[in-house]
Amino acid sequence: MMLHTPVTDILSMSDVRGGYGDADVLHGVSLNVADKEIVVIVGPNGAGKSTAMKAIFGLLKVRGGTILFNGTDIAGWKPNRIVQHGVCYVPQVNNVFREMTVHENLEMGGFLSKGDLSAAYDRVYGLFPDLRERRRALAGNLSGGQRQMVAMGRALMLDPKLLLLDEPTAGLSPKYMEQIFEIARGVRDAGVSILLVEQHAKQALAFADRGYVLAAGQNRHEGRAADLLADREVAEMFLGG
Amino acid sequence: MTFMDLINFYFVPGVVLGSIYALGAVGITLVFGILRFAHLAHGDLATFGAFAALAFVTALGVSVWVALPLAMVAAGAVAIGLDRYFYDYLRERPKILTVMASLGIALMLRAIVQVFWGVDTETYTRGIVRPESYWGLRIRDRELYTFVAMFAIVGVLWVFLQNTKWGKAMRAMSDNPDLALLSGVDNRKVTMLTWAIVGMLCAAAGFFLGLNTELKALMGWTMLLPMFAAAILGGVGRVEGAVIGGLIIGVVEEMSVLVIPSEYKAALAFAILLLILLVRPTGLLKGKVL
Repeated sequence: MMLHTPVTDILSMSDVRGGYGDADVLHGVSLNVADKEIVVIVGPNGAGKSTAMKAIFGLLKVRGGTILFNGTDIAGWKPNRIVQHGVCYVPQVNNVFREMTVHENLEMGGFLSKGDLSAAYDRVYGLFPDLRERRRALAGNLSGGQRQMVAMGRALMLDPKLLLLDEPTAGLSPKYMEQIFEIARGVRDAGVSILLVEQHAKQALAFADRGYVLAAGQNRHEGRAADLLADREVAEMFLGG
Repeated sequence: MTFMDLINFYFVPGVVLGSIYALGAVGITLVFGILRFAHLAHGDLATFGAFAALAFVTALGVSVWVALPLAMVAAGAVAIGLDRYFYDYLRERPKILTVMASLGIALMLRAIVQVFWGVDTETYTRGIVRPESYWGLRIRDRELYTFVAMFAIVGVLWVFLQNTKWGKAMRAMSDNPDLALLSGVDNRKVTMLTWAIVGMLCAAAGFFLGLNTELKALMGWTMLLPMFAAAILGGVGRVEGAVIGGLIIGVVEEMSVLVIPSEYKAALAFAILLLILLVRPTGLLKGKVL
């Protein structure tokens, strides 16, 4: 299969092994994300999708392989150092400060920024106009979709080059799911590469540029999202027929 | 007994005691919210602060109002030291270990106070202070200062938490510690800052208790239960709740003497604590569930 050959890979993860405690969850995962590309990781429960993402962000022990971000091996780095290098991560759950306002959530996202944040606020509120209106509301009082916007907005405050989204549509209605995908496209168009993990594999592949199917902690399939959607085996085994 | 007697002899002392509890309860609620354990050395840190102020008064000959900020700084430094040399080693272990360690620290702090200052009761100033009368309301100056100072100190803390970068970082750490770390908030700095503030609040609580009563080695320890009751009553993690809780516990304790023998006053905080845990475990203002 002819893969979309990226000119520059912003992220290149090869043969990564690792897990929580002593047990490995990832048994050699490799994936690439090109500049301004949206890449989705799909696969059955327990395949190691979220784990792969956490490995990139330094949230678990990587025991083998390399994770190159812009050519630098970031495997084993601490999350706050990775953040400063331009990778931001949105966890699946508990991804906002509930007792803080929308604006304060964004401010925390920009915590590591030394300078003035006003340009960053404008950029994020430009992507999420709804949030500008509700910037004094407590994040915990927002709807699920708006809360997800706050979570993404917080992660975008430092102007990352790569955004990691762990199941951004989990628990959202189809209407909000479309909205989140729409926003993610807008973020990409603003120059940010996106790697996301999704349970809603079909919808996610319909929206992403490329996809990886993981199973049992290893790569199973990869390719252009449209090709994966059209692939019989992938469809039967992983997309529910 | 007239209404003014009730106010003068029970309500006013209740508010004063409540203000002291409030200063302690705010610290307890900060430790619980941000560091997530019950700090049992809180009362004895207050004792230390009270005696530190006494040391400044006697050794430097300064007024108590100069001694208070000095004692606050000293207790803040001691609190940072306690964290660095004791609690920090238990950070990754189950929290109950830190709770038990803080009980040990409580005994240690009390022993240090007893070694340096002896076991006799002390006072900051000698002589009897007569209350001033304001339209029938009889208040001593020191009682007024206690109440005003409590609001001033908590007010400054409130502004700090709401409006400054590091104050917000403390709230973020209390709200969602994992996300705070993902955002790049340095939890070691937040921890240190929290202890500095907690130590200062402890010293203020101990100082005002000493100013209104007398200084003795057990003064802080006996305040521990009402301070915890106040923090939980107000809602754990809620600064404004701790103030309300402190004032309620103080007033209820003083008023209770009217209906139950004063020997049971100390048990009252425990009764309120049990009641709130049974009826509304999140406290009056919605706090964290214990």
